[in-house]
Amino acid sequence: MLDLQAVSKHFGGVRAVDGVDLTVARGQILGLIGPNGSGKSTIVNLICGLFPLTSGRIVYNGADIADLPPHARVTMGIARTFQNIRLFGQLTVWQNLWVAQNSSEQRKQNFLKRWLGGSRSAREEIDRTLEFFDLAHKRDELAGNLAFGEQRRLEFARALSAKPALLLLDEPAAGMNAEEIDQLDGRIRRMRQDGITVLLIEHHVELVMSVADRIAVLNFGQKIAEGTPAAVQANPVVREAYLGTAAAA
Amino acid sequence: MDLLDLIDAVQSVADGVLFGATYALLGIGFTLIFGVMHKLNLSYAAASIGAAYASLLILAGIEAPAIFVFLMAAVAGGVIGGLVYLIAFKFIPLANPLATLMSTVGLLLLIDEIIVHSTAGVPLNYPALFSDVIIPMGPFNLRGDLIFVFALGCVCMVVLLLLLYRTKLGLATRAVSQQPIASELCGISITHVNVLTFVLTGVVGGIAGAMTGAAIGMLSPLLSLPLTVKGLIVTVIGGLGSIPGAIIAGLVVGGLENFFQFFRGVSERDLYIMLLLFAFLIFRPGGIFPTTAGRD
Amino acid sequence: MDFYFGLIQIIGVHTLLGLSAYCVLLTGQVSLAQAGFFAIGAYVAGMLTVIAQWPLVPALGVSALVAGATACAVGFPALRVKGLMLVVATVAFGEAVRLFFFNFTYQVQAGNIRLGPHGGEGFRQIRYFPENGWTTLDVMLFIWAVVALVMAGLWWLNRSRAGAVLRAVGEDELAAQSTGINITAVKISAMTVGGVIAGIGGGIFAHYTTHIEHVQFGVVLATFAIAYPILGGLSNVFGTLLAVIFIQGFLIEGLRFMGDWRNLLFGGLIVLAMNVRPRGLLDAGAMLALKRLFFSRKERSDA
Repeated sequence: MLDLQAVSKHFGGVRAVDGVDLTVARGQILGLIGPNGSGKSTIVNLICGLFPLTSGRIVYNGADIADLPPHARVTMGIARTFQNIRLFGQLTVWQNLWVAQNSSEQRKQNFLKRWLGGSRSAREEIDRTLEFFDLAHKRDELAGNLAFGEQRRLEFARALSAKPALLLLDEPAAGMNAEEIDQLDGRIRRMRQDGITVLLIEHHVELVMSVADRIAVLNFGQKIAEGTPAAVQANPVVREAYLGTAAAA
Repeated sequence: MDLLDLIDAVQSVADGVLFGATYALLGIGFTLIFGVMHKLNLSYAAASIGAAYASLLILAGIEAPAIFVFLMAAVAGGVIGGLVYLIAFKFIPLANPLATLMSTVGLLLLIDEIIVHSTAGVPLNYPALFSDVIIPMGPFNLRGDLIFVFALGCVCMVVLLLLLYRTKLGLATRAVSQQPIASELCGISITHVNVLTFVLTGVVGGIAGAMTGAAIGMLSPLLSLPLTVKGLIVTVIGGLGSIPGAIIAGLVVGGLENFFQFFRGVSERDLYIMLLLFAFLIFRPGGIFPTTAGRD
Repeated sequence: MDFYFGLIQIIGVHTLLGLSAYCVLLTGQVSLAQAGFFAIGAYVAGMLTVIAQWPLVPALGVSALVAGATACAVGFPALRVKGLMLVVATVAFGEAVRLFFFNFTYQVQAGNIRLGPHGGEGFRQIRYFPENGWTTLDVMLFIWAVVALVMAGLWWLNRSRAGAVLRAVGEDELAAQSTGINITAVKISAMTVGGVIAGIGGGIFAHYTTHIEHVQFGVVLATFAIAYPILGGLSNVFGTLLAVIFIQGFLIEGLRFMGDWRNLLFGGLIVLAMNVRPRGLLDAGAMLALKRLFFSRKERSDA
């Protein structure tokens, strides 16, 4: 579904991402792990178009999307969350989901209805999503006033609002407690049931090992391993680069 | 066009370039404040004129040499700069750039009105140095007062550059402008740097205000808006954050202003300066010396 | 009585000016070009009624279109830059428009006088209202009908998805892009709507003052335009109206008895207001609190 071919991104002399090949198969949950600064977030930013590529190709559903602006990629079905939460703090919870309804299907609505009124089905969709993320009781609260865990859930919910086929989750578990991570685990599994492909970038190894079908490991901007969770866990290169340092710390 | 016209034109452009030193100083001030605070201080030019007025006030009744007036303008500029920070920036949360923008607009109006109020709106004469000196250079005459203004501007710029690139204070200022959070972690107090920047740019502004007064021969609150606009234009044409850019742009704008005034008349003069700015915005939005944007 | 009618007219026109800046500010852009669009509206509408002898309403329509089209065209290059650069670019545009009209002369002979804009002297004798027998009251009612229409439209827009999208762009462009919003299109639309509103405001302004000249459309007017919505708060169109009434009604007219001191107070109060309420007089928090107040009352009366 998504194919990164020899993708590189250099910032000046820094090779943040250096010739990475990565394939996300349809319906799969691909975990992307790696130590800090290994280029995980840069890959997300490249896929959703916030940075231009230095070289390489990004192929999505058979088309090269490397030159498309970010909003066009969302319309094609690629949505994301941010590692450092970036909600619209002065909008209500409900409005945060409303503005994010930008899938191609939603764009086909009548112009006036889409921008001014909003169809009933669109409204119901928002209510359902809020229900799913246990935020329905906060719908008229300003997003900036939510507690941290609620803001994380709202980020996730907002990304789903655009009805993505591919969801990029950038460290969704950062700062969560065990119970919240448990709920997150359940919600990510639910994505797979609903047929949404997920690219999960995460520091929390247990979560990735638990939900991901396959795992790719980055270090210094290069992919050093890929495979099933068990295989990656057993891989000595990974142990040295990532788990090894984690064990030492 | 015959030779005499050409000589007049060159003469007028040369005068403009010399006067452009004031624009350059104001441009530097805008750039420095923006660099450190990432905020626009619209009251800066008004404060500079205010400082020049204050220097007249301080020396009212005393027969002092004109150079002393300039010194006082610099001191007053520094004090006013500190006050501007305290009133329009200190207590407004960083997350509200609109609020600080508006508070500096309010301050601009306030400073103008204080001037109008205390002088009844009548322009005051400002002392000039070497106004009786005229240096003939072939067919051209260089006005002594303008040369002095230009020289003073150059001294200011050199001192400022030395301060920024050769002292610890300058290092701290540049650190804050590039990475505020990291600098704070390194033990640099952002508030101190901010206050110092405002005082420093205030001093520069005070001198620029005095230079304007000396070059024109008088002071009027009506000067502050055009100076604000010119200072901002110089900042953008020079490249936001670039001090050499502001200097060059200041001199160029000063020269072109007189060039267009000579050929197209005073009423169309500024129109061409605006067009120059648009040309830059479209073809070279980074200005003469674009600063490379850092990663955050 | 005419004095108060006149004041209410001024408040109405300045509300339109403030609302035009409000649209653009919602997307987080500070535009000091609104005075320029206002000037374009004023000159276009004035020339249409005086020289081409058009009735007022179509003239206003054309001035709205011309100002809106200008805003749209300016938006493309101007919105590529942000923050300070945009402020400077829009100041320069506003000044360029002013200087254009400073040098613009187009007059026709009408009887024994010449009509039309005349460079630095301005454009005199825009006498549509007196010629057609409108009283001050009529003019006032007309102005406020337009203001009410524009405010209702914006209020409705505000509650719609379009309003939420504008605010989303204003708050975090990166996040807005990443949720699929085309931020360039949104910003240019906002700029265009702002231009249309400023054009209508300018057209009306030209007709009730009967005499316009370039100095009226300078940087000061542009700063007033953004001052209203920023002072009033961006959460609501009524904030802008409130700020216009506060500035034009209270600070400028109400404090006339203070003579010179009034102007001093004016700048000082703006500084003070921004220190005390950085998000404006009517911010989102205040609106939510008001809403709660009403709703809880309703619930109580239901019980």
